[in-house]
Amino acid sequence: MAISSELIKSVTAELYERSLRKIPLDAMDALVGAAQVESNETARHTLRIMIKSAEEAEKTGQFVCSDSGVPVYFIRVGTQVQFSGHVREAITQGFDQLVSTIQPPLLPHITHPLTLERGYKGAGMPLVTFDMVDGSDCMDITCSPKALGSGRWAALEVFSFPDLRTIEKYVLDVVARAGSQPCPPVVVGVGIGGSFDYAAKLAKEATLRPIGEHHTEGMVADMEKRLLAGINMMGFGPMGTGGDFTASAVHVNYAAGHGFTPVAVAFNCWINRRTRAHIFNDGRVEFLE
Amino acid sequence: MVELNFWSKFLTIQTHRMKFPLSENDSRTLRAGDQVVIDGEIIVTAGLPTHQRLIRCLDGLEPLPFNLLGQTLFHLGSYCQAKTRPEGIEQLDVVYINPTTSTRFNDVMPRLIGELQLHAVGGKGGLDARSVEAMKKTGCVYLSFLGGGATLHTQSIQEVLEVGWSDMLMHYRLMRLRVMGLGPVTVAMDAHGNSIYADTQVNAQTRMNQIMAFMDVARQEAATKNKC
Repeated sequence: MAISSELIKSVTAELYERSLRKIPLDAMDALVGAAQVESNETARHTLRIMIKSAEEAEKTGQFVCSDSGVPVYFIRVGTQVQFSGHVREAITQGFDQLVSTIQPPLLPHITHPLTLERGYKGAGMPLVTFDMVDGSDCMDITCSPKALGSGRWAALEVFSFPDLRTIEKYVLDVVARAGSQPCPPVVVGVGIGGSFDYAAKLAKEATLRPIGEHHTEGMVADMEKRLLAGINMMGFGPMGTGGDFTASAVHVNYAAGHGFTPVAVAFNCWINRRTRAHIFNDGRVEFLE
Repeated sequence: MVELNFWSKFLTIQTHRMKFPLSENDSRTLRAGDQVVIDGEIIVTAGLPTHQRLIRCLDGLEPLPFNLLGQTLFHLGSYCQAKTRPEGIEQLDVVYINPTTSTRFNDVMPRLIGELQLHAVGGKGGLDARSVEAMKKTGCVYLSFLGGGATLHTQSIQEVLEVGWSDMLMHYRLMRLRVMGLGPVTVAMDAHGNSIYADTQVNAQTRMNQIMAFMDVARQEAATKNKC
């Protein structure tokens, strides 16, 4: 028994499509919770329109946002998984097929970074990160399309033996720079340590963690709570027009490194696009969200 | 169309239902924080190249595709499809529409606002201090649309009136649309020099020391707790 290219093609395409029409449950819960306690009237109003917008998109099968972003996948492959064909190629073909069939159609957002020409294809597209999971018998696929709105504000800086205060101040500065622009309330992902590339990956993965789920280590969980409280004291609020909810969550991931410590910060906008499925060797597919 | 009663359930902030293109007088009556529901004609585009091309028009290098003087220009991107009406006439239908980040257009907006006498602009994320000045002079407001509000925004579109620059990518084209009940949107910058974006940024920076002091205490408490 092995996972076929056809199955990977259809599941990855479906994950992308689903992510455009429905926001994750945790994102919805965060908005509903925020709307109940937000002290700023305009912000409460904006939060309610957000909830209405997400509900209406789901009900009518329309897109929540017109910017479908670029396709981004995070795939964790179990060491017990068998493939009967190409994997990377299947994901590319799945996206191509989706572009030609999806209703309503997608706008051409894939951009050549040097010529700024836009279309539906491009070098490295879809963007896929692969990891291995020892002992697992499934392919764990998360799709999180990324657009300029929140993608533009990610940042990374390399420090030398920073203390916690320095790291936290940097996160606040990056959030302040993004300010009203990344469609808050945002999910802030922070990656600390490892190397330049690894910290960025940790930050991206941190944005995918469900809202409300803290890091398993107490010290890191405390840092997440502290950062969330600090960020929400800034007052940017929903859509940046003032309020208590600039972020719904701050998730921190870390890896050991050398004395140079990269700190990466990434954002998801309020719709927090994320879908996930498991594919097993026997062809079974489980859509988790 | 959006069911208007839905909003009235919780709207106690000042909401104005206004006819667009917004007149200079109407624009000057609005205050930052007000809500506006839009009826009438608006012009939309999401393209940076479109804005650069508009500047070329102001420089006299190219004609404007249609009249923009005294109009409303929103940073909204749209997907359109041709559809044939029962009487056989082909027309464009907006399939979805949604705002884009306006700060991308910071460099060109003051000139466009001033020289095209725009009394309403908008999108999401706001514009910088240079636009605040131009808006004061011209009598112009900036309206904040919900990002990720495609379904709601699209429901208010009644007709595509005109398309400018069809040689460009679809969401870069200038589209003149007739809308009914678009919004409510937030007046985030008004014609009196107020900008919620500038205020929130100043507040955030002013509070930064206080926030860091709060976090210092929380960090010390956490360190003690984690030692136990």
